[in-house]
Amino acid sequence: MTDSPRLTRHRDGPAAWMMVAPALFITLVFALYPVLDSLWVSLHHIFIGLPMLGRSFIGLDNYLALLRDPAAHQALFVTLAFVVLSTLLELACGLVIALVIHEHFRGRGLVRAAILIPWAIPTVVASQLWRYIFNDQYGFANLLLFGDRITEYVPWLAYPTVTFGIIVLADVWKTSSFAALLILAGLQVIPDDLYDAAKVDGANLWQRFRHITLPLLKPAMLLALLFRTMDAFRVFDLVFVMTQGGPGDATQVLQFYGYQTLFTEGRLGYGSAVSVAVFLMILSLSLVYLRAIGSSLLERGRT
Amino acid sequence: MACGSRTDLCATAPRSDAICHAPRASTTAICLLLILATFCWSVPDAPAQPSTDRPASSAHSVTLRFVSWKPDHPRLWDEAIKQFTKAHPHISVVRELAPHSSTAYHDLLTQKLKNRDATVDVFFMDVIWVPEFAAAGWARPLDGRFSSTMREEFLPATVAVGRYGEHFYGVPSRIDAGLLYYRKDLLTKYGFTAPATWEELVHQAEQILAGERQAHPTLRGYSAPFKQYEGLVCHMLEFIAGHGGALLTADGTKSTLTAPETLAAVQFVRDRIIGRLAPRAALTYQEPESLSVFLQGHAVFHRNWPYAWELVNNETRSTVVGKVAVAPLPGFAPGRNAAALGGWLYGISTYSQHPDEAWALIEFLSGHAMQKRFAQEAGIAPSRAALFSDADLLAAAPQLRNHFAVLQSATARPRSPVYPAVSHLLQRYFSRALAIDHLDLAREAALTDAHIDRLLALTRTAP
Repeated sequence: MTDSPRLTRHRDGPAAWMMVAPALFITLVFALYPVLDSLWVSLHHIFIGLPMLGRSFIGLDNYLALLRDPAAHQALFVTLAFVVLSTLLELACGLVIALVIHEHFRGRGLVRAAILIPWAIPTVVASQLWRYIFNDQYGFANLLLFGDRITEYVPWLAYPTVTFGIIVLADVWKTSSFAALLILAGLQVIPDDLYDAAKVDGANLWQRFRHITLPLLKPAMLLALLFRTMDAFRVFDLVFVMTQGGPGDATQVLQFYGYQTLFTEGRLGYGSAVSVAVFLMILSLSLVYLRAIGSSLLERGRT
Repeated sequence: MACGSRTDLCATAPRSDAICHAPRASTTAICLLLILATFCWSVPDAPAQPSTDRPASSAHSVTLRFVSWKPDHPRLWDEAIKQFTKAHPHISVVRELAPHSSTAYHDLLTQKLKNRDATVDVFFMDVIWVPEFAAAGWARPLDGRFSSTMREEFLPATVAVGRYGEHFYGVPSRIDAGLLYYRKDLLTKYGFTAPATWEELVHQAEQILAGERQAHPTLRGYSAPFKQYEGLVCHMLEFIAGHGGALLTADGTKSTLTAPETLAAVQFVRDRIIGRLAPRAALTYQEPESLSVFLQGHAVFHRNWPYAWELVNNETRSTVVGKVAVAPLPGFAPGRNAAALGGWLYGISTYSQHPDEAWALIEFLSGHAMQKRFAQEAGIAPSRAALFSDADLLAAAPQLRNHFAVLQSATARPRSPVYPAVSHLLQRYFSRALAIDHLDLAREAALTDAHIDRLLALTRTAP
């Protein structure tokens, strides 16, 4: 082609737009539009079962009602407890797993693959399995503890606190390996000569871990923390399959509460307000994390 | 296609390349928009006019879509549908099966109806959904088809639950009411007959457990569903109504959880039943789990719907075949007892394009012959009054004779278009009351009352 430079530049514009268009289109239609629409719906009073109420604009009333709703408070409390407990445990377990599979030993490939199995199982299937394990009549947990003394069997999922603990356990079991994967990646970029130099200086194993591994792992740990917190905040399937929020609302998390208000009760406005509230909480949390990660990377750049 | 031919035009004229790219981008966008638009608009457009009473043309074939829950007796249902399509060769029936749980089925079905999905013709309605489906405009009024002479053939209670305001929206498929199943062999052994009051039931169970402890250490007094779900509302209503209480005031405008009878009934279940007469595990049971305890012979008393009779006497599933009898659930004073009313109705979607064919299917499935077959082979209680005096059927299913009085006088749950939201609050309150040992019942009841009252007030603020 013998096009003039001006024409080439001119041609780049539309062509570039065309290539970006599908991605842009998908983002606009499937990400931005639903978010904005939820926001808009959450400012209305819409009750599916009561069409005669129409679709009245009520400003922030749904959000004010949310602040006064004891069921929502309970759900927020349960969700926060779940997020804090499960992410901390997952990070701790993930760190241990990562340190183990970072070492050189025979069969390391096999162990690495095995550790990823829980993460590869769909959550719905895993939740169903955990529900069976803690079943009072034919659950594995009771069999393990009491054998055939079935008069002593414990109804695990009938105690509010215990049930909450089991939900956390199921989540830790499932996603620790994901945290381990991220932390392992962080471990692998720490240069070996740092350890060698420390050894020459007489640093013992703990000192090397405390002063080399941990500080240099900070970005990877923060990234794992970011992913896990956001995921934990959105916990839904575990609760949906295992407990339906019970007993006595002990496992009622925000996402499941939002689902119930939207789909079971048909309160579109209020349910959307719950979803938007969760969205805002996750958004602000991730902003905090991203700042933390950004500054920790900067620190690293300066040293 | 339009997009493709456009490219060909461009290829023949290299000079116009620069101009051609811009239109091509916009053509792509327009195409995408068009696809999207047809996608969005075709759904609500089609059923916009509820095509009333087109004469059924047998010339071209019609496909009916029947959204149903996963049935307990799939073989029976397959055969019923086959029989229908044989009699109506121009209609084919596609069944879409939703989860077994009533709440999960509700969520899926209402999701479709909310979107005015024209691919739903016939569906089941739980008796508690009729006001919601009617008010939301999802179910077609069936007054013209479900004539008064036809209505008289069904039990009055089942016809009444299908009514909302002036219209009838559902044809009864089956009726359900809570029943007390008990181990006849054990009660006879200790010289008891079916208990009339809960106090009596507790006393009998304690005596039997004391006597059987050596031989059968896993035997418990009572097995019933107390999980946080719709079934909990049914069973708690039975305790409350049996104590002379109610969930709402008679005019249906106020919640009455703080009424002394209601509080006393809840207190009784929490202090005397959970973890004592019934295993604490009952807090995790829905119907199947609590039935399984009874089928394994681990409970003296058991609460369930009529369908359980067939399973209790099923040689392959049950260890207590022939040892069980059924009675009305007890109350707190002789004669003052209650059974929660349940059951399913057939409805036709407002957005269905084949209401005549849909009606033909409903007439067939709710007909005398089909209901008889389901009662005989699946133990499902029929909604047609005549079947309760059908000699054939009573010979095959003698338990129906006992069920009749209970089914006739069963207590309905609150009838309101906001019932799903009300039920959610009730489930929450009951489950917390039973599972959290030191909960302040009166305070929790007052909070829930206030919440439910606000919801009920919404139904009266219509412009």
